[in-house]
Amino acid sequence: MIQRLMNIDRRIIFVFVFIGVAAPLLANVFLPIKPTDNVIAVYEQLEKVAAEDGIVLLSFSYGASTVPEMQPMARAILHHCFSRNIKVVAVCLWPEAAGLAQQVLEEMGTEFGKTYGVDYAFMGYKPGNYSVVLNMGQDFHDAFPQDNWGTPIGDIELTRDLRTLRDFAFVFDLAAGDSIEFWWIPYGQEKYGFPFAGGCTAVMAPDLFPFLQSGQLVGMLGGLAGAAEYEALIGRKGKATAGMSAQSMAHLIIVAFIFFGNIAFFLSRRS
Amino acid sequence: MIFLSRTLPVIVAFCFGVLGIAIYYIPHAGAQNVERELALWLRIVFAFSYLLGLYSLLNLHWQRIRQRVSGWGYSVVVYIGFLLMMFFVVYNDGQGPFAAQAEGGGYQWLFEYVHVACSSTMFSILAFFIASAAYRTFRARTPEAALLLVAAVIVMLGRVPIGAYISDYIPAAAEWLLNVPNLAAKRGILLGVSLGAIATSLRIIFGIERSYLGGGEE
Repeated sequence: MIQRLMNIDRRIIFVFVFIGVAAPLLANVFLPIKPTDNVIAVYEQLEKVAAEDGIVLLSFSYGASTVPEMQPMARAILHHCFSRNIKVVAVCLWPEAAGLAQQVLEEMGTEFGKTYGVDYAFMGYKPGNYSVVLNMGQDFHDAFPQDNWGTPIGDIELTRDLRTLRDFAFVFDLAAGDSIEFWWIPYGQEKYGFPFAGGCTAVMAPDLFPFLQSGQLVGMLGGLAGAAEYEALIGRKGKATAGMSAQSMAHLIIVAFIFFGNIAFFLSRRS
Repeated sequence: MIFLSRTLPVIVAFCFGVLGIAIYYIPHAGAQNVERELALWLRIVFAFSYLLGLYSLLNLHWQRIRQRVSGWGYSVVVYIGFLLMMFFVVYNDGQGPFAAQAEGGGYQWLFEYVHVACSSTMFSILAFFIASAAYRTFRARTPEAALLLVAAVIVMLGRVPIGAYISDYIPAAAEWLLNVPNLAAKRGILLGVSLGAIATSLRIIFGIERSYLGGGEE
């Protein structure tokens, strides 16, 4: 009996996880979310940029597989920027990110009635990973001579006078890989000294804590939880907030199964 | 021939390695121009690496189809997917490959409703496997495993709103675990990796490490 309990068919576990994830999403359950210090720091930095009338550089470094985690984060950051009339320049360092960035920029731009070229600009994708970061620091026009649709950078009102990364009041990287720690920090933030923060997938978040403590990262949004906390700060109940109920249930189910498995394990040892 | 295949690459690696390090720290305009030029070259090399990757991917799957190895049907799917996407990129809603990508159209549709949907699904399926794997393997067999188990449970609950529902101490404990023991371990790993990368780079620059040239030992 105990052996059977220790080896439950994995399909039963899958059914529990499926119900645990689907039920809160279908029932539209929203749990209260308390923002953490790292997320509040990003919010406060953007408020500072709004007060200074600065420009934000938003870097998209994620692909299609991490859309459920990263796209709500991008949406929340853009919501905050556009609602506070912060101008945004977006670039892509991952090839897949171009379509995703365009989608979210157009969606949020339309929602807030923003004008392309005046309130925001999209420079598209450039290959080269960290060398693009280095290039942007040296000469932004050199790194991105045209926007995503081929308009020369000098013809776009927002980007006309941007010369280097130092011209941005804040840089934020949305990352699903190692772009924060191995591209932006050594070749951008450290070299050119601009305020920098990042949003990443939940599995990457623990890797970035040393950079938070050293001050190289102003703040951080870690996974869907980070996006949900940001939504709580800007007062928007988006996909991240809805997703957190599902994630809460999934975590609870996993913890319950771990607990159950260990009880069975100890009982088997005793017998 | 040995000069071209062995000595010359080592000389090039030495010159550009030393140059790359030096100009990073020299704020002079001349050095900055060289750095800008090198960054542009790097981007060109990166762009060519995509071609190499594409060749490697298609060649691998072509061999699998040709030799009818187990699962060769999936390689056919790779070819169909690649050719279909390529067709719509080149067609570009009737505007041709040299115009900016058209809004909407077949490529955008495939990207949004096939690629994004499939990739997200694949990633999301991990939740099911993690649940099953955690149940089977997360057993407190030793004191160390028990410690890891307790830490994992606290972080899992502390990073979601339900943790605060159970107790306010759970998110606080999760934060402490991430900010103190996790940070200490990560910093140690990061320092080790960085020192290793510096040592390897110096070995390459000074020609001690030559395995990147291929061909085994001289």
